[in-house]
Amino acid sequence: MKAEKINPKDISRPSEQMVELNPADFMKLPYPYDKGEDEPAFKRLKEDQKKKYETSLDGVLAVGIPRPATKGEEDELVRKFLSGLEKLLTKENNWTFLQPLTLSLEYCAKCQTCNDACPIYISSGKKDIYRPTYRSEVLRMIANKYLKKSGKLLAKFTGNDIELNWTTVAKLAELAYRCTLCRRCAQTCPIGVDNGLITHELRKIFSQEMGIAPGEIHTLGSVQHLKKGSSTGLMPVALKDTLEFLEDDIKERTGLDIKFPLDKEGADILLIHNAGEYLSWPENPMAFAIIFEAAGLNWTLSTDLLGYDAVNYGLWYDDVQFARVAVRHAQIAKKLGVKKIVIGECGHAHKAISVIADRIINEEINIPRESSMTLLEDLVCSGKLNLDPKKNAFPVTLHDPCNMVRLMGVVEPQRKIIRKICPQFREMEPHGVRNYCCGGGSGFAIMSSMNFPNWRSSVSGRMKFKQILEAFQDVIDPSIKKMVCAPCSNCKGALREIFNYYNAWEKCGISYTGLVELIVNAMVDIKEPYIEWPIM
Amino acid sequence: MLLQLLSYLALVVFAVGILTRVVKYLRMPLHVRWELYPIPHEKGREYGGSYFEEVNWWEKPKEKSFIGQIKFMVPEILFVRGLYHDNRKLWWASFPFHFGIYLVIGWLVLLLIGAILNIAGLSPESAPATFLQSFAVIFGAVGFVLGVAGCIGLLMFRIFDSDLRSFAAPKDYFNLVFILSIFLTGLIAWSSSDPSFIIFRDYIKGVITFSPVTIESSLVLAHIILLSLFLMYLPFTHMTHFFAKYFMWDKVRWDDERNLRGSAMEAKVKQVLNYRQNWSAPHIKPGKTWAETATEEVE
Repeated sequence: MKAEKINPKDISRPSEQMVELNPADFMKLPYPYDKGEDEPAFKRLKEDQKKKYETSLDGVLAVGIPRPATKGEEDELVRKFLSGLEKLLTKENNWTFLQPLTLSLEYCAKCQTCNDACPIYISSGKKDIYRPTYRSEVLRMIANKYLKKSGKLLAKFTGNDIELNWTTVAKLAELAYRCTLCRRCAQTCPIGVDNGLITHELRKIFSQEMGIAPGEIHTLGSVQHLKKGSSTGLMPVALKDTLEFLEDDIKERTGLDIKFPLDKEGADILLIHNAGEYLSWPENPMAFAIIFEAAGLNWTLSTDLLGYDAVNYGLWYDDVQFARVAVRHAQIAKKLGVKKIVIGECGHAHKAISVIADRIINEEINIPRESSMTLLEDLVCSGKLNLDPKKNAFPVTLHDPCNMVRLMGVVEPQRKIIRKICPQFREMEPHGVRNYCCGGGSGFAIMSSMNFPNWRSSVSGRMKFKQILEAFQDVIDPSIKKMVCAPCSNCKGALREIFNYYNAWEKCGISYTGLVELIVNAMVDIKEPYIEWPIM
Repeated sequence: MLLQLLSYLALVVFAVGILTRVVKYLRMPLHVRWELYPIPHEKGREYGGSYFEEVNWWEKPKEKSFIGQIKFMVPEILFVRGLYHDNRKLWWASFPFHFGIYLVIGWLVLLLIGAILNIAGLSPESAPATFLQSFAVIFGAVGFVLGVAGCIGLLMFRIFDSDLRSFAAPKDYFNLVFILSIFLTGLIAWSSSDPSFIIFRDYIKGVITFSPVTIESSLVLAHIILLSLFLMYLPFTHMTHFFAKYFMWDKVRWDDERNLRGSAMEAKVKQVLNYRQNWSAPHIKPGKTWAETATEEVE
């Protein structure tokens, strides 16, 4: 029997847990996972965790807010939430998103068209609390009832008779982190409402007013980024050591003598990678260096604080942190006197510095920014590199990072490259601007506390895994090695976790890589295969 | 004359209400870019690409495709294309509802033209006036029928579809019933009292010339009263999306205007960076401008 519908007002009712997640309810996966036997059991929270943290949403912890000790503490948090919401609707505090937010709050017709576009809602087996409209409607109701003059008087008629209490705020904090901000929902809204944006703004109330955000994206993320130079904790001295080690590795793997150009003033290009690449997938920055040197580009890396880590986690939850990181990136480029910044394979860094920061980095620090996809397309398709597609003789599919594709419009360059160098390329469906998120968007790929990774791989990444399996159904036998090309660090991180979670290499022979690795693998002058299987 | 006064009041409240809302959105500050692809004015990139796909894009002129935008907007506005693709079952109710509204607006415009021509001296019995009026009959009758069907369909969805019902408020049903009552009175008035819409046209003539008109048909009367009341209510509801969509699409979803050195955009950015923020989290110092906040040393 179908469970009773949960309406937005239900969020205010104190309950042990609003929703119970059961893998048996989740969206079915294709062969060889169609029997459901390989579905890992869903990790439940331990009793002590339940006692310590607010777990009343779905028994999953992304933020992990400690339970307030007293009613007074609860009331104070509720007051702060409301003051944050109020600030969100003023131009001084929120000029960055005031107009889009106001429009999205005022115009939802509650037609629910966006629901079916949301991979999390569908993958979860259509749990009501994961509807894109759910958290938006709750926030809209609170704003209408508590911040409008006649809000309380008309609350019954307008449907805004919601109770703003601690349980509402605590559940909203977690619920703000059950959406990857992929904005597929916004794409289908017939009116133009953006529920992804509302989630983004909700996260800002918690971070900018209440100081509440997942540790991985704030304390260990943007704060560490600004302090130490990288959200990975990689400091400039360690970076230089790492690069020396990578130079040796390049020599060993390819025979090429390549020195990473560092802090070269007046270079044409400042290349900035997601620093996670240096630690998790060093073959990616190595491949960039091989390609750039082969093409004879005048480029450099920076070893300045922040200059070697393109991430900008503020994009997901905090405009202030966002602006700080964006400005520092631009200042470094200005100091070096480069002609342009080129962003490595990192989707959110692409959107952060190219699109969002476009109206923050201003005047003399407004240095042009370019996608590496575009530059690579120019190198590959103009014939500047000697490539043999036969060296990539295995099935390949391409994942579209949301930030780079739907949210920035860089769609074709990576495809043109893959079509040229991967003869067995096949698209996932849907793809391009209609793609599905990897499940790791908006910080999820790096959030790893308690049972959140379990939720990420089995719920938020489920649609992507389904797409990948479908794309490879004709070659699903594990003896046929297959590659998912994901030109984005966070997407690769999410895919790594999903593939491990479902033993995708052992069961299906599916691995993943970036785009430059495939290009170098096709380079005629490099004798040994550059790609190593599996990358897990 | 009371009825006419109500109509004048309705027109004034409608115009002021809409204008107030438009001004509110126009006066909002510049926001950061938050576009969503495809953007139809991107020339030759219907698949969803952008100028970011070009090497050294800032050195190239930005070409906007006006035709691309029109090609997107016409089917979207007239036929609710987005819903057709993404929520077909609801489209079967939403399309007749919206198309019914367009036809009724067309009907009013035709009646208005007829009334003006009449005032200008064209006999209502003349061939052009009769021709115009027969068009008005088609627009009105079809519009009312479609509107009634659409309203009933949308009401049925709100009542019987559990996904919609669990989010529905009394206001949502009220709005639909209100609009249904307008379509329905119009439809019945046409079929029972005013098959050529002569009474309606003469009423509009009276409104334009400030001369009293006596309406004997209670259905025509009811329709005019309901429509007037609705015009006064509309500016305060989400149904103003008919103009807000301009802001949501053109000013947010498709806003890819670049901030180039020395541009007007650069000056606007400078202005918003001087707003003083007042956030309270530990990592933010309230009272500083955004420019100061973004560049201060972080502890």
